[in-house]
Amino acid sequence: MAKKRKHTNWLGFVLLTAGSLIMIFPFIWMILSSFKTVSDVYAYPPRWIPSHWEFDNYVKVFQMIPFGRYYLNSIYTSVMQTLMEITICIMGAYAFVALDFPGKKMLNSLVRSTMFVPTIVTLIPMYVMVSKAHLVDTYAGIMLPQILSAFTLYLLVSFFSTIPKDLFDSAKLDGCGYYRILLNVVIPNSKSSISTAVMFAFLGHWKSYTWPLIITNKQQYRTLPIGMKYLVQESSSEYQVMMAASVMAIVPVLVVYMIFEKQLVKSITLTGMKA
Amino acid sequence: MNMKRVIMVLLASAILMGVYAQGQNEGKPAQSVEPTGPVKLQVWYALSGASGQTFVGQAQAFAKEHPEIELELTYSGSYADTATKVSAALLSGTAPDVAVMAAAQLYTGGQGNFEMESLVKDKDFDINDIYPGMQQYGMFSNRICALPYGISTQVLYYNKDIIAKSGIDLSTPPKTWDEFLKIAKATQQKGGAEYGFDTSDGVWLIKSMLSQNGNSIVEKKGDKVNPTFNQESGVQVATFWKKLVTEGVMPAGQHDNSEKKFLAGNMAFIAATSSRISKWKGNTSFALGAIPMPGFKKQSLALGGNVISIITTDKKKTAASWKLVKYMMQEPNQSAFALATGYLPVHKSSVNNPAVKEKVAGDPLYKVAIGQLDYAWAYLSFSEMGTMDNLIWGTLDEIEKGITEPKQAMDKAASDLLKEMKD
Amino acid sequence: MSERKMTIGGKLYDKEQLRAATVLLLPLLIAILVLFIFPVFRVVFYSFSNYNLIKRNDFRIIGLDNFTYLFTDVKFGKALRNTFTFALSKLLLDTSIALVVALVLDTRIPLRHYLRSAYFAPVVVPIVASSLIWIWFFDPGIGPFNQIRAFLGLKPSQWIYGEKTALFSIVLFSIWKGVGYNIVLFLSGLQNIPDSYIEAAQVDGATNMQILWKIKLPLLRPITNFVIMMGIINTFKVFAEVNVMTPKGGPLYSTSLIVNYIYEQAFTNGKMGRACAASILLFAIIYLLTLIQNRMNASKTIDVE
Repeated sequence: MAKKRKHTNWLGFVLLTAGSLIMIFPFIWMILSSFKTVSDVYAYPPRWIPSHWEFDNYVKVFQMIPFGRYYLNSIYTSVMQTLMEITICIMGAYAFVALDFPGKKMLNSLVRSTMFVPTIVTLIPMYVMVSKAHLVDTYAGIMLPQILSAFTLYLLVSFFSTIPKDLFDSAKLDGCGYYRILLNVVIPNSKSSISTAVMFAFLGHWKSYTWPLIITNKQQYRTLPIGMKYLVQESSSEYQVMMAASVMAIVPVLVVYMIFEKQLVKSITLTGMKA
Repeated sequence: MNMKRVIMVLLASAILMGVYAQGQNEGKPAQSVEPTGPVKLQVWYALSGASGQTFVGQAQAFAKEHPEIELELTYSGSYADTATKVSAALLSGTAPDVAVMAAAQLYTGGQGNFEMESLVKDKDFDINDIYPGMQQYGMFSNRICALPYGISTQVLYYNKDIIAKSGIDLSTPPKTWDEFLKIAKATQQKGGAEYGFDTSDGVWLIKSMLSQNGNSIVEKKGDKVNPTFNQESGVQVATFWKKLVTEGVMPAGQHDNSEKKFLAGNMAFIAATSSRISKWKGNTSFALGAIPMPGFKKQSLALGGNVISIITTDKKKTAASWKLVKYMMQEPNQSAFALATGYLPVHKSSVNNPAVKEKVAGDPLYKVAIGQLDYAWAYLSFSEMGTMDNLIWGTLDEIEKGITEPKQAMDKAASDLLKEMKD
Repeated sequence: MSERKMTIGGKLYDKEQLRAATVLLLPLLIAILVLFIFPVFRVVFYSFSNYNLIKRNDFRIIGLDNFTYLFTDVKFGKALRNTFTFALSKLLLDTSIALVVALVLDTRIPLRHYLRSAYFAPVVVPIVASSLIWIWFFDPGIGPFNQIRAFLGLKPSQWIYGEKTALFSIVLFSIWKGVGYNIVLFLSGLQNIPDSYIEAAQVDGATNMQILWKIKLPLLRPITNFVIMMGIINTFKVFAEVNVMTPKGGPLYSTSLIVNYIYEQAFTNGKMGRACAASILLFAIIYLLTLIQNRMNASKTIDVE
C-alpha cells in the first residue's frame, strides 16, 4: 500500500466510501429535516424529503434564541482557550522533551492524573472557587478553568520526541539558548503536529458543555452547545427548527476543518528531515 | 537576552488574560447593596417558549410601574437544570433573588427560610383566594415557602380521528380505569391505533392514581417521612399499571417517546401536562380532544408545575421581591398568565374573571383542565422527593417489563427510599 | 563547574536547563495547582462527609460510610459493569475501525480529502444535536434503523428502549461520533513514516502484508498506545450521550455509566459526599487501568520516564 504504487486501491475506495456514507447519513437526514414542516417531522411512515422547503425554520432559530450571540461566544471562548492552552502546552512539552530537571517523573505522573478526572467530579469545588472570585457569568470564568489539558500536552510531547536529536545538538553548537531552540527549531519542525493539536484543542473547547452549563446563567455569555440545549427546551415539538440550528452550528466548523486540513497536509509534505 | 524575551511574552499573556477578565466583568451582578437608591433583583425563571414570554411581558410591565426596582430576568433552563444551578448558586452566594421553578420550597423552607409565610399575611394579598390544594404545593413542613405560579395537572388527550374511526362515543367519559382500559383496547382493534394509551410522565400519573385509590404516597410522622405507596392500595394500582402493558394497550418503557407517537397519530390517548394545550392546539395533524381523567375509588389529580419564591434573605431585596411576587400573583395577572400558556389559574375568584370564563367556554380542552381542579391536590414536599421520583420511575420500568412483580417492586422502592433518607 | 551545573537530590543538573524549565513549566504548574490539585483535595475531603446539596445544614464527617454504601449499592455495581462493558466494546471497535480506515486512507485512493472529512464530520457535531438525531433513528416504531432492519429481513430491535440492546446502541453512537478522532491520529502517525522505509522494503521484495506488520504497525506503536490510553480515559468519562438519550439511566439502569451515577447522586439526590466518593473510585479505576496499559508497553512508550 505504498504511495508510489501505480494502481489505485479501488477496493479500499469502495469500502471506505460505503463506510463514509454511514458516517454522513445522519447529516443528510439533518439537513433534509431542517427544511421540513411540523407534519413532515411526525409523519408515519417517516418522510425523507420535505413536502415543501420550509426556509422559515432557519429564521425561527434566531427568533427563539440569540443564536448569533451564542455563536460569537463560542468562537471567542474557543479561540482564546485554545491559544492559552497551546501556549502552556508547547512550553511544557518542550521542557519535558528537551530538558532535564528534578521531579520530572513526579510531574509526569501528576499531569497524567489530571486526565482521569471528568469535569463533573471537580464541578462543585470549581464552581465555588470561581464564584468566590466573582467570575460567574464572565468570559474569564468560562475559559480559565478549562485551559489545562494533559491530552494536548502529551500529544505535543509525542510529536516533539520525533524531532531528531541532531537538530537540537546542532542548534546548541551554534550557541542557541533553550528558548531559541524552542522558537527556531522545535516549532518550525512540528507545524503539522501543532496544527493537529490546535485542531483537537479547538474542537474540545468548541464542544465543551458541562462547565459552561453551570457557570453561565445569563444569556449573553452562553456558548453554542448550551444554547442548543435551551433551544431543545424551547422548541421541544419543533424538531425541524432544532435541525436548522444544528446545521448552522455544524457547517461552518466543518468548513474550517476542511481548510485546516489542506494546510495540515501541506506542512507534512514540506517538512524535511524526518528520518 | 532570550530570558528577557520569554519573560516579556509571559508578562504580555498574563496582562492579556487579566485584561480580558476585567473587560468582561460588566455583566457581573452588583453584589453590594447601596444603602439608598434603586434595587436590582435577579429573577430566574424555568419557563420556556410562550410561558417564558408571557412571564417576561408581565414582569416588564411591573418594572415600568416601579422605576425604583430594576429587574434582571434570566431564563434558567429546565426544572432540573434550574434546580442544579440554584443548588450550586446557594453554595457560593450567587443565588437569584426570585425564582420561578419547580420545588423552590426545597431551597427556601428546606434551608430554614420561612420568610414567605409572614409575607403572605400582607393585607394586600389574600392567600385564601388560592385553592387550598395549590397552597399546599408551595409548602414545606406545612409552612408556606413558595406560591403556586405555573400550575398544571395531567390531562387525558385523545386523537379524535382515531376515536371516530373506532366508533366510540366519549360524551359520557369513562369514570374508572377499568372502563377506560376497555375503550383504549377498542381503539387498537377498531381504530387502527398502534397503542391505546401512554403517558409522558409515568411518575406523575401513578401519583395521581395512588391518590385515586386512597393511597397517600408518603406520610409525615413527626419529623420523619414514611413511604406508604407500598401498602395494599398502592400495590393494587401497580397491578393495574402492569395490566396496561400485558393487555397490549401501553408499550413498556417508552414513556419518553410517547408524545412523539401521539403527535404522529399512532396513539389514541395520552396523559400529558395541561401546558401542552397551548403547544398542541392547532398544531396536530388530527383533531385534538380531552376527557377528564378516570379514577379508582375516587377522582384525584396530583398537581405539577412551578412555584414562585423569594430566595434572597436581604431585607431590602425581600421587600422589593415581595412587591414583584404580589404583582405577578394578583388574580388578573396570574390568570392571564395561565390562560396564555395552558397553566391553570390558582385563584378561586378566577371563575368570575370574564377572560377565564370566555376561555373555558370556547376551549373544550381548557374546560376539562379547569374542571379537574376540583379534585387536585399537592403531594408532600420533602428533601428526598427527587430520589423518590427516580426510584418510582425504576419501579415502573421493572413492573412494565415483567422483571419484578408489583408488590415486590413497590416494597423494594419503599425500602430503598428509607435507606436514602437515613443519612 | 559550579556555574554550569547544580546538584539537587543527589543528581547533577545543568543550571541553564533548570532556569529554562522553571520558566517554561510555570504556567502549567499554576494551572495544575489551581484547576486540579485544589478542587481534588476538596473532593477527597467531601467524600468523607455527608455533604448534601439540599440539606446543607447538617454537615458531618462520616468516615468511610460513603464508600461502604457504594460497595453495597446495586446501582453502583450496575454502573460499574455497564462502564466496563461499554469501555471494552467501544475501545476494541473504535481502535480497530480507525486503524483500518487510516491504513486504507493512506493508500492511493481518489477523493481522499473528502473521505477523511466525512469520517471526521461526526466529531464536530454538537452532542445534543446528534443525540437527538439518533434518538429518532433508534425509535422502534418510526425510526430509520428499524426500517433498514426490516428491509434486510431482520426483526425490529428495541435499541435504546430494550435493556439488552440499550448499551450497545449507545456504543454504536459513540463510535460513530468518535472514530474520526482516532483516524486522524493514526493517519498523522502513518504519514510520519518516511517513504524511504517503505520504498526500501519494496525494493527488498516485501509484500504489502509484510510491510504492514513489520514496518507500519511497529512504527505506529506510540500513536496506538496514545490512542488506547486516551480511549480508556475518554470512555470512562462519557456522560453527555447517555444523559441525553437515556436521561434516567436507561431501561433497568442498563446504560448508566459511572459518570452518570455520579451526576445522579450529586444533582438529583443532592448527595455530594457520596458523589465525591464515587468520583474517587472512578479516578482510581482509570489510573489503575492506564498503569496496567503502561506496564504492558513499558519498553515502547513515548514517555518521559
